Amino acid sequence: MNWIDLVSLLRIALHAMVPITLTAVGEIVGETAGLFNIGLEGILLISAFAGALGAEAGGPVVGLLVGMGVGAAIGLVFAVINTYWKGTQMITGIGINLFAMGLVAFGLIQLGAPGFHAVPRAAQVIKWKTAMGAMSPIILIALAMPFLIHWFIKRTRAGLILKAAGEMPEAADVAGINVNKVRLLAATFGAALAGLGGAYMSVAWIGSVTKDLSAGRGFIALATVVFSGLNPLLALLGGFIFGFFQGLAEWVKTLPSKPIPSQFVSMLPYIVTLLVVSGAIGRVRFPKALGEPYKRE
Amino acid sequence: MSEQAGPTQSRLLRGVHRTVTGLHPALESMLAALIGLLVGAALMYMWGFNPWKAYWALLRGAYGGSYEWASTLARATPLILTALTFSVCVRAGMFNIGAEGQMFMGAMAAICVALFKMPPGIHLIVGLLFALIAGAAWSIVPAVLKITRGVSEVISTIMFNWIARWLALYIAIFILVDPSRAEKTLTIPVSARFPILVRGTDFSYSFFLAIFAALVLYFVLWHTTMGYEVRAAGLNPTAARYGGIRNKRTMIVSFLLGGITAGLAGATVVMGMPPSYAAFGGGAFPELTNIGFDGMAVAMVGRNHPIGIIVASVLFGGLNAGGRVMQFYGSNPVPLEMVRIVMGAIVLAMSIPELIRLVPAIKSQGERLIATLRRHGRPASKEGSA
Amino acid sequence: MNANDAPANARAADGYFLRAENITKVYSDGTVALREATLEIHPREIVGLLGENGAGKTTLTKILSGLLPPTSGRVTSPKGVVRFASPREALDFGIGMVHQHFALVGTFTATENVALSHERPFARIRLDQARERLEGLMKESGLHVPLDVPVEKLAVGEQQRVEILKVLSRGVRLLILDEPTSVLTPLEVDELFLLLRRLRDAGTSIILITHKLKEVQSVTDRIVVLRRGELVGDVKTSTATTERLAQLMVGRAVEGESTAVELSAEQLPRAGARSKTGSSGESILHVADLVAKGSTGDVAVDGLSFDVHAGEIFGIAGVEGNGQSELVECLTGLRRAVSGIATIKGTDILGKDPREIYRLGVAHIPEDRWRLGLVLPFTLAENAILGVHRWKEFRGPLSFMRWGRINRHVRELMDRFEIQATGPNAPAKSLSGGNQQKLIVGRELAKNPAIVVASQPTRGLDIGAAKYIRDLLVEMRNNGRAILLVSADLDEVLALADRLAIMYEGRFMTECAPTDLNRQQIGMLMGGVERKEVV
Repeated sequence: MNWIDLVSLLRIALHAMVPITLTAVGEIVGETAGLFNIGLEGILLISAFAGALGAEAGGPVVGLLVGMGVGAAIGLVFAVINTYWKGTQMITGIGINLFAMGLVAFGLIQLGAPGFHAVPRAAQVIKWKTAMGAMSPIILIALAMPFLIHWFIKRTRAGLILKAAGEMPEAADVAGINVNKVRLLAATFGAALAGLGGAYMSVAWIGSVTKDLSAGRGFIALATVVFSGLNPLLALLGGFIFGFFQGLAEWVKTLPSKPIPSQFVSMLPYIVTLLVVSGAIGRVRFPKALGEPYKRE
Repeated sequence: MSEQAGPTQSRLLRGVHRTVTGLHPALESMLAALIGLLVGAALMYMWGFNPWKAYWALLRGAYGGSYEWASTLARATPLILTALTFSVCVRAGMFNIGAEGQMFMGAMAAICVALFKMPPGIHLIVGLLFALIAGAAWSIVPAVLKITRGVSEVISTIMFNWIARWLALYIAIFILVDPSRAEKTLTIPVSARFPILVRGTDFSYSFFLAIFAALVLYFVLWHTTMGYEVRAAGLNPTAARYGGIRNKRTMIVSFLLGGITAGLAGATVVMGMPPSYAAFGGGAFPELTNIGFDGMAVAMVGRNHPIGIIVASVLFGGLNAGGRVMQFYGSNPVPLEMVRIVMGAIVLAMSIPELIRLVPAIKSQGERLIATLRRHGRPASKEGSA
Repeated sequence: MNANDAPANARAADGYFLRAENITKVYSDGTVALREATLEIHPREIVGLLGENGAGKTTLTKILSGLLPPTSGRVTSPKGVVRFASPREALDFGIGMVHQHFALVGTFTATENVALSHERPFARIRLDQARERLEGLMKESGLHVPLDVPVEKLAVGEQQRVEILKVLSRGVRLLILDEPTSVLTPLEVDELFLLLRRLRDAGTSIILITHKLKEVQSVTDRIVVLRRGELVGDVKTSTATTERLAQLMVGRAVEGESTAVELSAEQLPRAGARSKTGSSGESILHVADLVAKGSTGDVAVDGLSFDVHAGEIFGIAGVEGNGQSELVECLTGLRRAVSGIATIKGTDILGKDPREIYRLGVAHIPEDRWRLGLVLPFTLAENAILGVHRWKEFRGPLSFMRWGRINRHVRELMDRFEIQATGPNAPAKSLSGGNQQKLIVGRELAKNPAIVVASQPTRGLDIGAAKYIRDLLVEMRNNGRAILLVSADLDEVLALADRLAIMYEGRFMTECAPTDLNRQQIGMLMGGVERKEVV
């Protein structure tokens, strides 16, 4: 591996890190408050699609905002079902994923070519020319967000409230905190970040939408959350590791010599996820009320 | 009024009440299905389709006649099996999202029968054995990871789905590939195919395999000690442990049972679905993809009960079969993908507990909202508050 | 209805702080928890709210503190009707409640727990300010707690103090305490009561929920008695006699002399049933130097050694949370011991799983019937075979369940142990607490065990059911079984045990006959005072 290859590998890894880190950090906010959203995969997919449409209509920034908004909207549906309506979080998430698969495949057909839609250059976020090559500015957001969230959870009263809602909702309730509202906001915010990650994929990174664009990134983000033990800074690291192996897979595919079949290379991120998660368990402690709807009576 | 009237009446009322509460889950499933269809209709309308026409085509395509019923049941077959995968693990207190991957492995293993010759019937059974072993083997790893390393089965089974998909692609392209047609695998020989049940349709005897599996699981879960232990561990793991039940064992058992049915689901597709009797690696497995995920929806609507699953599979099989008709119907046909949107919406609705109670709640909330709006509309009026 | 017990407060009606008028509460499952209860709270008074389990004490106070809305009725203050949509609104009004299960976030420190209910969201946490305020409050009230340790690491008594501080820091004028003494040692109870009197003198009103007559008489100014959701008495403490209170609480005259109210005569098995005191029978359970860790990783059982013999009840008393649960879990295969020996009839049981231990003739009545003893969504029949479901009797070829025999067995259990239910297929969650416990006890005793490990067997039961279960235990003892009785109810242990041990922080403070010590001495031992200092 020569120097140029290494740089390009790093560049791919940083780009691949963004959706995973953003989604994972968002999910950390949600899980801290007690909501486990397995529907992130679907949110990534739908917001990638919506982001592409938004970008084509109003430019890249609009695209990113639309992606965030759509992500937040789905997060809100998820949150309402699982706070006020005491739903089963796992099943809601599965429903979101199924719904997203159908909706995006359906939408792509409506746009013309089934299964694939390219986002025009003009609608994409402009990449910055750097010494490492063209880099998307969104990477900076993905790098900053974990620190911001870390500060928010550790150092603000809102973070304290968030943790209380996830750890001991009864105590939060008695302290006058509207647990359902806190959870609703947290899950919506988390889904909005996932939405940004989804829109980034179509508008700022890959430049196209396919029906399996998300390719398990939502689930890998969930695994990253497990790995991080709800620490946003570790999620950044985890996101980078997974991004690196995705980058590695992409990079190996471009090699002319094909040392191993590309199918095995494509498995890499998932295998690494499994290995990392099986190594991380044990030291991690999750909120006590994670996954439990809060009932007062 | 006679003295008897009082008690009789109350007994009658109690009887009605019991029936209604007994029907409650079924009613909720139906309500969820209705909500899903309404969401689909709304989306179709937004996109400029005619939902009535589309649903009419779907309905006729699913249940319009014996050919349509055959098509529906053929599509219900693998769904029953993957739904069993999900539900047996839910009964054991776990979310096994891995039916998709286990089903892929089962399908690939079943295709292996194309590599050798055997008498008819035995060939089929050997293929099924291959499939169920492959499915079980693929499901055992997440179970072991959960027991030994505490890895959430949700995450591990999802990762295994992706690994299975790529592995299946590799197998389909490099190992079991049809030398004459690189985009598909070897074809299952006639001696290992499920006989067709209704001529001219793709409805084969594999349907009875699915029904049989559902009945077996019903008996295992409710009439054997093993099933008792699985259900106890699923409902209250601490009490189960107190009762001398080894929770690790019930986890393994439920994952194995689930893997077996998922593997069989893969086999029923490649061995019982004319005309191809093969998997299309080049097209990324259009006939296999999502059967595992749709099975989860079937399981939920079927309330994770084998009998309920059979009923629910007729709905979802019908959606799939009818969707195929719908996508060619009329001047502005609705794409098949609409069906999955409807399924997703159904599952979303299913995740809301006490769905039926929500109806009056939404109504009263709405009324309150309207009342509030009205009050605010009149600036003079003010509510007295303490 | 209770004219002679009618309002003891002669104060003017406008002098009250809060009045609950005709409060009725019907839960969504149809239970009527409160019926037309009316209660007035004045400044500067300690009101005892007395009643048995399920009398509606907690429901009433939850309504006052904004946690539950009443089904009908209203709460008024001199300024008019007050409605609390949430505990926060009640707190803002000046009403704070200390729950039986503390509303503390375990991973937070005391400071963080207090800070949680203050300050604006989205502000930086000013933990230093919260801490300062808390230190001031600690000085003022005389309550001291460590401020920088996660509260889950604190002892239960300390956690309670954090909880009280948290409520006081909001400047409440009405403090409600739900069974505060059940987790405290006698010494800690005295301290708490001292604090309550001081708070009252400073102008705070206090509602003290309890079912202990002595306590309520020692600290309150006025006693309100609830029975089955109805307010049946409102008397001045100075005029109330123990007998009168007991009668109000139970709803009938309690026979016999007054001293027995703590555990009235009819709750106890026949006097003198204690047949063979001492250890005449062979040793069934032998424990030596047993060490086990609790869930938090601290040593919970600290080198215990004892024997339980056939034909005796060995009682372990002590405040809950001193390692009793961990001990029982070790002996029944639910927890791994760190070191030591435990054998049943000579067979080692440490490291064995529950099924193997049951096979040696162990029956286990668990302390938490909802978490451990029952699978609530299961039917009565399914629950009745939990743990014995693999018996040949219930399990046919191919491991098929013999439902016919199981149902017959269940009907026998229902007859023999007076379990009231609609039938074997009734869901266990539809049974009352007493019937659920009878189901568990029946299931375990039907195993024909050599030893019964009974952990808090009568907790939360009404008097009738508790007596019934105590009788069963004595009967088993008289039939030559060994019984290990672990109970936080000191009177229960004193009444039933042939020998008893007092457990404190994982150790036995003493092992003796129940007649060797008086209540006060036992109280001191439960609080950790060494035996030689006591006697």
